Amino acid sequence: MASGWAPLGAWLYRRAESLLAAMLVAMFAAFLLQITFRYVLNLPIGWTNEISVVLWIWIVLFGAAFVVREEEEIRFDLIYGGVGPRTRRAMTLVSAAALIVLYGMSFPAVLDYVTFMKVESTAYLKIRFDWLFSIYIVFVVATIIRYLWLGFRALRGYETNRLDPTKASSGV
Amino acid sequence: MNLASPFSLSLIAITALAFLGLPIGHSMIAGSILYLALAGLDMGTAAEQFLNGMYSNYIILAVPLFILAAELMNIGSMTDRLMAFCNAVVGRFRGGLAHVNILQSIIFAGMSGSAIADAAGTGKMMQQLMTKDGKYPASYAAALTAATAVIGPIIPPSIPMVIYALVSDASIGYLFLAGVVPGLLMAFAQMVIVVFDARRKGFPVEPPTPLRELPRVTWRALPTLMMPVVLLGGIYSGATTPTEAAAIAALYALLISVVLYRSVSFGEFYRSVLNSARTTASIGMLIAGALVFNYVVTVENIPQSLAVLLRAWDLSPTGFLILVNFVLLLLGCLLEGTTILLVIIPVLIPTAQALGVDMVHFGVMVVVNIMIGLITPPYGLLLFIMTRIAEVPLRDLVRDTMPFLMSMLVALALITFVPGLVLWLPRLLGYQG
Repeated sequence: MASGWAPLGAWLYRRAESLLAAMLVAMFAAFLLQITFRYVLNLPIGWTNEISVVLWIWIVLFGAAFVVREEEEIRFDLIYGGVGPRTRRAMTLVSAAALIVLYGMSFPAVLDYVTFMKVESTAYLKIRFDWLFSIYIVFVVATIIRYLWLGFRALRGYETNRLDPTKASSGV
Repeated sequence: MNLASPFSLSLIAITALAFLGLPIGHSMIAGSILYLALAGLDMGTAAEQFLNGMYSNYIILAVPLFILAAELMNIGSMTDRLMAFCNAVVGRFRGGLAHVNILQSIIFAGMSGSAIADAAGTGKMMQQLMTKDGKYPASYAAALTAATAVIGPIIPPSIPMVIYALVSDASIGYLFLAGVVPGLLMAFAQMVIVVFDARRKGFPVEPPTPLRELPRVTWRALPTLMMPVVLLGGIYSGATTPTEAAAIAALYALLISVVLYRSVSFGEFYRSVLNSARTTASIGMLIAGALVFNYVVTVENIPQSLAVLLRAWDLSPTGFLILVNFVLLLLGCLLEGTTILLVIIPVLIPTAQALGVDMVHFGVMVVVNIMIGLITPPYGLLLFIMTRIAEVPLRDLVRDTMPFLMSMLVALALITFVPGLVLWLPRLLGYQG
């Protein structure tokens, strides 16, 4: 039964990757458009700015929710990487529980904030902020589900992933 | 400080969660939510700070664009041609390939803003070249690559400097300029070490490229060599903002690799865009987490309290800078660099300002510290990357990095005590400070 869903999951994951890559290309294109308009055509435009900032927020939250793998996350690895698998599983369980409780606790207030933002729109494109910020809700829900899953795996005795320094990068 | 206060508890929670291995961005958000809950504030503020902080800090957009530019440079044949050029220039000296490694890093530093990207991009090729036929010990080659990658974000462009500009409001343009002399100084120090090592350890000379070949090799590498000029010329002529310059850098790399050298397939392009987007998402979480936590720090007035505390110690500006160096070098051994920049530096900035320390000078000093932290054990990302690439034991790598590390500490001392060294170039181009 579970194996029947695996190809679908992998397919969805690849599409999430494509979407993430497409958002970065779009952000890049918005910048190029902005530079062209300002310096080549001498017509400063503001909406490209807006698009790139919106895409930046979406890339981060969508990416963190659906695409970034455990071994790519930037984490403090000195202790986590140094202990045995049993201890590491226990650590995963405790931190996952804490995250689920805290994110869960804040969820109603977060939902309130995002829906409240319907009263404002962006300056140029008039996108309502509740739409724009809705990805944060998606991010919180996806993160809680991800950590339920990680906690469950740790309970069942699966090895938890360590940081991979060749993959995790913080831009330094 | 009261240990049961909401702020202390949230700080303890963040530290504990990070130690337990939760990603640092999540740890900071979760800890900040705990603070809001304990202090009886609206927990939606976490989302508000996250989203508004990301929405209103336009300059951070330079970060994903510089990441993209570095990825695009690494897929084309730009690196090969650059290597051939460097070999033609300095390969003929004793320890030729070691000098090639340094020169190549200087030029790369002028295009890319990330030390990790530099090491990941050119490290493998350099390692193969240097260890072929046992020319250089593998650990020495890896140590040198780690050390030369450190220069990357000190010579402009620089992702850490963009992040510093975000937390300090210092001008990115002047920060970039201020990095030039210190970066070249550090590279020069590395060349001096290589000259001594080459004689002592009998490093080989590369077959010299005939001088009449030089114009052809230079011509082939010219578009790559021009990249720093295009990038920095755009910023300093005032034609582009640093953020836009990052987009131009990415476009330039793409044009050269795809149109001029025709060396990139669609699959490679897709993979490098996807890699950049993944990196952008994980570093973005870190930045956003720090924005949320910095709100808590500001509400609690921590930076001002620290300034008052330090004033009671009656520190001189120099004393303060020495203290900062010690703290940052120590933290650099344990923590990841961007986290230090985003969390620790904002707390120190009001004190630095109160003592009259120049923000551009301070920024370069901080970034050099963070970069040194990349090669100091136990936690040094460049060391980790090079042990993977070169397949050498960490212990040997650390041993061979030591002379380079020492030279960097000397450079750091010069940078700290001789602000003129850092500020000379920015002042020449109009910096009032």
